[in-house]
Amino acid sequence: MISLSSVTKLYNEGRPNGVRAVDNVSLDIGADAVTVLKGPSGSGKTTLLSLIGCMARPSAGRVMIDGRMVSGLPESFLTEERRSTFGFVFQRFNLIRGLTVLENVMLPAAPLGPDPQALAEAARDRIAALGLADKADTPVEHLSGGETQRAAIARALINDAPVLIADEPTANLDTDLTHRFLDIVADLRAEGRTVIMTSHDPRIWQSDLVNAVIEMQDGRVTGAFA
Amino acid sequence: MTRWWRRQRALADFTLAALARRRVKNIGLVAIYALVVFVVASAMFFSTALKREAGLVLADAPELIVQELRMGRHEMIGADAIGALAGIRGVTRVTGRLWGYFYDSVNGANYTMMVPDDPALAPGPGEAVIGEGIPRARGLAWDTAPLFLSRHSGDLQKFEVTGRLPTGSALVSSDLILLDEADFRAFFDLPEGIYTDIAVSIRNSREIDTIVTKAERLMPSARFVTRDDISRTYEKIFSWREGVMVALAGAALLAFAIFAAEKASGLSAEEAREIGILKAIGWNSSDVIAMKLWEGGLVSAGAFLLGTVTAYLHVFLFSAALFAPMLKGWAVIYPDFALAPQIDALQLTTLFLLTTLPYIAATLVPIWRAASADPDQIMR
Ligand SMILES: Nc1ncnc2c1ncn2[C@@H]1O[C@H](COP(=O)(O)OP(=O)(O)OP(=O)(O)O)[C@@H](O)[C@H]1O
Ligand SMILES: [Mg+2]
Repeated sequence: MISLSSVTKLYNEGRPNGVRAVDNVSLDIGADAVTVLKGPSGSGKTTLLSLIGCMARPSAGRVMIDGRMVSGLPESFLTEERRSTFGFVFQRFNLIRGLTVLENVMLPAAPLGPDPQALAEAARDRIAALGLADKADTPVEHLSGGETQRAAIARALINDAPVLIADEPTANLDTDLTHRFLDIVADLRAEGRTVIMTSHDPRIWQSDLVNAVIEMQDGRVTGAFA
Repeated sequence: MTRWWRRQRALADFTLAALARRRVKNIGLVAIYALVVFVVASAMFFSTALKREAGLVLADAPELIVQELRMGRHEMIGADAIGALAGIRGVTRVTGRLWGYFYDSVNGANYTMMVPDDPALAPGPGEAVIGEGIPRARGLAWDTAPLFLSRHSGDLQKFEVTGRLPTGSALVSSDLILLDEADFRAFFDLPEGIYTDIAVSIRNSREIDTIVTKAERLMPSARFVTRDDISRTYEKIFSWREGVMVALAGAALLAFAIFAAEKASGLSAEEAREIGILKAIGWNSSDVIAMKLWEGGLVSAGAFLLGTVTAYLHVFLFSAALFAPMLKGWAVIYPDFALAPQIDALQLTTLFLLTTLPYIAATLVPIWRAASADPDQIMR
């Protein structure tokens, strides 16, 4: 269970270009549930995800994860929280150029001291599940948009984190691949894990899998549907 | 423990993959770095080897050498001086030495001709024992081919070569020809009863000053050269200590300059973004720093290894060819001489620490800053 109370995030506070990216948001996100954030561009979806994912600190308000207060913790604790709790699919993918798909996917697990063989196998399985097996050894900068997106999804899943945070995960995928992604989401939900995503994609928020849709506008939550 | 190792292995693997990505830049970095190490290590190997050669020369040198001077120039010395010197208290042995130089007009080389101190080493009449540089300089067909020396046109002296001097010290023995005393005197047309100079052995080296004072009174026109004098001369010629210190300091400065240019400018945008990504996907600051330590360690250790190995080959296999100008003015056959391999472990360790530690330390400073910042910028 993740809960936010009166969370606000300001960028460039006190300057003419100051932005209230997230404005006084209070929200509870269920554990074994799939939650989708929707709203127009610039409405604060990505910012809200980064606050939930311990990537940024709120300017005001509190973020709690399973009853632990994380919003005031120093960076070293937040890293620990990110590692043990979250897998991320970033809106801009953020794969490391020059490394192969396989290397990128293995990366989040590297500091955990994994068994190299077992890790490589698990990574290839994730890659294959997303239909990318033949690109596993290709450097990521040679991939198409959809392939890059799938590599990013595979990387987010490698550590079997309890919470998957995905920012527009299907923006570059066709219908068939979108359904593959939804199959993975269904598996995660069946395993009792939490999925939080943003999406402009009706195929996502109209899916039966989704437990809650949260609408945002100008940094505020304007509606929540279960 | 295995977990720790696996973590290190995973980080090192990633580092290698990351280094391979910026191949050109990293090869350039290693090349410059290795060049610095190469120059310093060459100077180090060279001076250590020369020092050892000089040490061998000194070990063989008598405590005191007495030379006759006339008009400030080295002159032959009479045998009567031997008796006079032997009478001084504390002197154990006095021997007249015979040595000289021979200019070989065939190839322009200079040889040192000598009658060995120890009669057991002396070749028989008509025979010669030669240093390893001689056959090379003369192009002798086989090891024991006879040696023909010509003092002027129409003259030809033949010596049977009965032995080769061991190559323990190339500096000492390379250009040497040992002869029987009678042959030596005949070759240089030198009458009985005079010597090139006189070697004096003494019982207690602390008495040397007293003995020299007494000998000066007996032979006011002579010059007295003690082993300390020779040692000091060698130190001056090679001045290894100063040389090595200057070289090491220079290396440290250069290593500093390299990373200053490379690292002090801060991280490239690409590098900073990568650190942000790594942190966002769950790496903590110490993971990032450990990875960068691997990177710095691999770069600097690789460069160090490359630099020292090439320096070793340069000095001991290619006779320090790049330092040849330093050797000019020596006998013609010297530039060919091979130094006996010799490594000073302490110097090498110092060089290693002086070049790698500052590099690694300076690499880490900007990383530290980047690694402890919030990674939310990369969300966008
Ligand atoms: N680091 C930042 N510095 C300054 N302004 C920022 C920063 N991050 C976000 N913003 C601003 O905050 C607002 C919300 O941005 P955010 O990225 O959360 O929107 P979004 O809902 O994800 O939009 P999109 O659908 O286009 O991805 C925007 O006006 C954006 O310009
Ligand atoms: Mg966004």
